[in-house]
Amino acid sequence: MSLAAIDFTRVAAPKGRLMRGYFSASAFICASIVGLIILTLIGQTGPVLSGHFSSLWGTVWNPNTDQYGIIPMLYGSIIVMLVAMAIALPLGVLTAIYIAETRSAKMRGIMKSALEVLAGIPSIVYGLIGVAYISVWVAKGLDLQTGRLILTAGLILAVMILPTILTLTEDAISNVPEIYRENARALGLYRHEVIKDVVLPHAKRDILAAALLALGRALGETMAVMLVIGSLDRLPSPIFNLLSSGQTITSKLGREIGESAFGSAHFSALVLMGLILVLITLALTAAAQWLIHRAPREANHV
Amino acid sequence: MFSRATNEHIFAAATRIALFISVSILAFLLGAIILRGIQAISLDFLFTPSRSFGSSGGIAYQILGSLLIVLTAGIIAAPIALGASVYRSEYMKSQRARRVFDLMLYGLNGVPSIIFGLFGLILFVNIFGTGLSWFVGAIILATMMLPTATLATVNAMRGIDKSYRENAFALGLTREQTALRIIIPQSLHGLVTGVLIGLARAIGETAPIMFIATAFSGATVPASLHEPVATLPTHILALAQQAADPAALKNAWGASFTLIALVALFSLAAFFARARLTAYSRR
Repeated sequence: MSLAAIDFTRVAAPKGRLMRGYFSASAFICASIVGLIILTLIGQTGPVLSGHFSSLWGTVWNPNTDQYGIIPMLYGSIIVMLVAMAIALPLGVLTAIYIAETRSAKMRGIMKSALEVLAGIPSIVYGLIGVAYISVWVAKGLDLQTGRLILTAGLILAVMILPTILTLTEDAISNVPEIYRENARALGLYRHEVIKDVVLPHAKRDILAAALLALGRALGETMAVMLVIGSLDRLPSPIFNLLSSGQTITSKLGREIGESAFGSAHFSALVLMGLILVLITLALTAAAQWLIHRAPREANHV
Repeated sequence: MFSRATNEHIFAAATRIALFISVSILAFLLGAIILRGIQAISLDFLFTPSRSFGSSGGIAYQILGSLLIVLTAGIIAAPIALGASVYRSEYMKSQRARRVFDLMLYGLNGVPSIIFGLFGLILFVNIFGTGLSWFVGAIILATMMLPTATLATVNAMRGIDKSYRENAFALGLTREQTALRIIIPQSLHGLVTGVLIGLARAIGETAPIMFIATAFSGATVPASLHEPVATLPTHILALAQQAADPAALKNAWGASFTLIALVALFSLAAFFARARLTAYSRR
């Protein structure tokens, strides 16, 4: 029980009540913004939900004919996220294993600071790199007319979430107590068996939390994706064709919010997509927090 | 399928290859930004206004606009973060309330940046009728900074020794007096660090401010709260969309380099603030 739980203190003077009001008002603001954002978004979804509900679950987006199918964007967000995770997760986990298990303090230090620098690079700069290098390479390497594809967006996103996965996974692996490794090695296990059968199972929960946080980042990333995905509001054909242009929820919002009139069905369809995105990322955050707090090692964490 | 010894070698090779790829990616990113940036940057570039939609001239007003928005955001966010952390660590009694409060902050931290832009557009620009305004941009960036700043301050308050509070209460101080005289001075380094880290993130944000606070060209020094400004991230966005033009691309690299230099400046300030102020508050 924390000390604050037992109230030894005297009753507040009028000036003290003012201070207390300021403290609680600030706390209220902090805690209520998420709710305010969700309510504000819900408030604007009316026009499309009442007038065009049936077209929402279609695959055609054409505001001129009042068709607001959000499926292509939902699909785009998910496929780009999957491509990014398929690249970044194995790469990040394997690299983290190397850094954590070689246990060279110097190398850890260098890698950690390099990662912090990378995490500080604004997403618009990643977008510029995507436009100037990656999309050009993809177009040349695969001999295509344009490099603005789902694959390109997935690649740039993989680069962007790599620092998150790498740092958090490395922490998780380093936190596994040394005694487990020593015991496993004493039993005659090879290094890869120690890692596969002892270290990774132990760090599983924290790695999963890292992956969820990275998923949330990947889903919410706007600027870089918007610049390289090609902005095509159709499902790719065939459906798993990564070499087709596409559209994610975020790139759609980034491109069209400025062009749609406030209060129109078009605007409200965009807001609805934003609302879906917020709810997904909130669920991912909550799941990651739950995983971290349930981990026994973190039990002393207030 | 293979012998255990072979598996060991395959595994070792796989981790080395992964390390090599990761390091190459990091090196490529940093190399590209630094090399292309240094070629584009000069004193002239930093201190002249942009011309012909940014493809010639410099980025003077973009730097000014970015600094104006984020510093204002910092000034708005700091007192709220301070008050909220005092409430969280000195007034909230149940573990459950604290968990819910933290979860709300982590949730806010996870909300995608474009959603903040959409939120600001609906609530301020349209419902409150402010129109494009740099000040609305600052308010939105302040809300984005709140989780970082608050959690850093809460952490600092958690580190204050129990005996400080016990002594204060034993001397008959009210809870508010304890907060004002003991808790806040002892945890100020957390607030300063948190706000600076928040600033470093906020200055790079494009999506939250591009619909509500910025103009792509022609904006200079705002005369009132109701005017848009030019900022570095939105300038880079405009230039990246005309990437076929080598002059525009060159300026985009220059602006990116400047932006990252500002991010690094705030991050370094945070680093030193933590070191200096921690020592100060322990005295």
